[in-house]
Amino acid sequence: MTAAWWEIVFERFKANDVRLIAHVPDAGLAALIRACEADPSFEVVPLTREEEGVGILSGGYLGGMRGALLMQSSGLGNSVNALGGLPLAYQIPFLLLITPRGRLAEFNPSQVPAGRAATKVLDALDVETVTLERVGEVETLVDQAIYTAFSTYRPVAMIASTLLTGGKRA
Amino acid sequence: MDSIDAVRALRERLTDELLVTSLGTPSYLVNAAGDRPLNFYLWAAMGMASSTGLGLAIAQPKRRVVVVDGDGAALMNLGGMVTVASRAPANLLWVILENTVFLETGGQPIATGRGADLVQLARGAGIARAERVISLDGLGALLDAGLSEPGPTLVVARVGQDGSKEFPIVDPIRLKHRFRDALGLPVR
Repeated sequence: MTAAWWEIVFERFKANDVRLIAHVPDAGLAALIRACEADPSFEVVPLTREEEGVGILSGGYLGGMRGALLMQSSGLGNSVNALGGLPLAYQIPFLLLITPRGRLAEFNPSQVPAGRAATKVLDALDVETVTLERVGEVETLVDQAIYTAFSTYRPVAMIASTLLTGGKRA
Repeated sequence: MDSIDAVRALRERLTDELLVTSLGTPSYLVNAAGDRPLNFYLWAAMGMASSTGLGLAIAQPKRRVVVVDGDGAALMNLGGMVTVASRAPANLLWVILENTVFLETGGQPIATGRGADLVQLARGAGIARAERVISLDGLGALLDAGLSEPGPTLVVARVGQDGSKEFPIVDPIRLKHRFRDALGLPVR
């Protein structure tokens, strides 16, 4: 049986020493978060608001620890000023794993406006963005995203497509 | 007490601690009290000093991490107080300079001057070691304990509105490089 997309992300995090996981969860991220919580080499920090994760992971990098911020696209809006003022300003390598809301397979119209803005917000911040769509590409793209963030000292956002997560139906 | 005296009392106790400051007045005061490579000054991202300190405390569990925050910034990230409490890093000392105004922008009054109690909020969040102090002597004792005993420790120092305008190094990349270099971590 082939591995699920999140199992591959978990393995690539582990292989690349990305072990500080800050999150405001999504159902589509639940299995990945559970796997990280079950592995003692990871430090998993649930947040009250996504912005906190920007500070925590920036502090982690300053102290020599790699991490990733896991959240729904709704959390991106909550994080914008902190992304500008910490990883972008200080050139801190930064990984985001985002599950889209308000796009395909969405039941909730109230999630649409901010959800549709998410990729434009990443563009406006000049953040490198890659969409994970096919299980067979996940290993390579996640490796490349981690490599790019830490070699260019910039944020890289990985968007886990609804092809992988199934979206959010009623 | 004057805020500069409060920050000097902290500065004279520091050896190899990792220090993170909130943007604005806390950064200027900490710089005025004596710059050092292990001072990491935020110049933006208001509210994020405590979260940055938490991440640093997780990454460097054997080092003491000190956050110098403002009361306005602490109010902006009250949610982060819950996260600090639930994570409970033993090596974190969080100092909030409580001057009850937004000093940087002209002294507009804020909720800490109108009954909002950061110590009670912290205790409610789960930070048992949370105290307010109004005298320099009292502050010294709390800092000594916060720098040596298991935390997390929150010290709310009620200070005057003296402030400072002694800007630290403004180049964020230089601040990052010298901090990591002082920690013995690679710098490109």
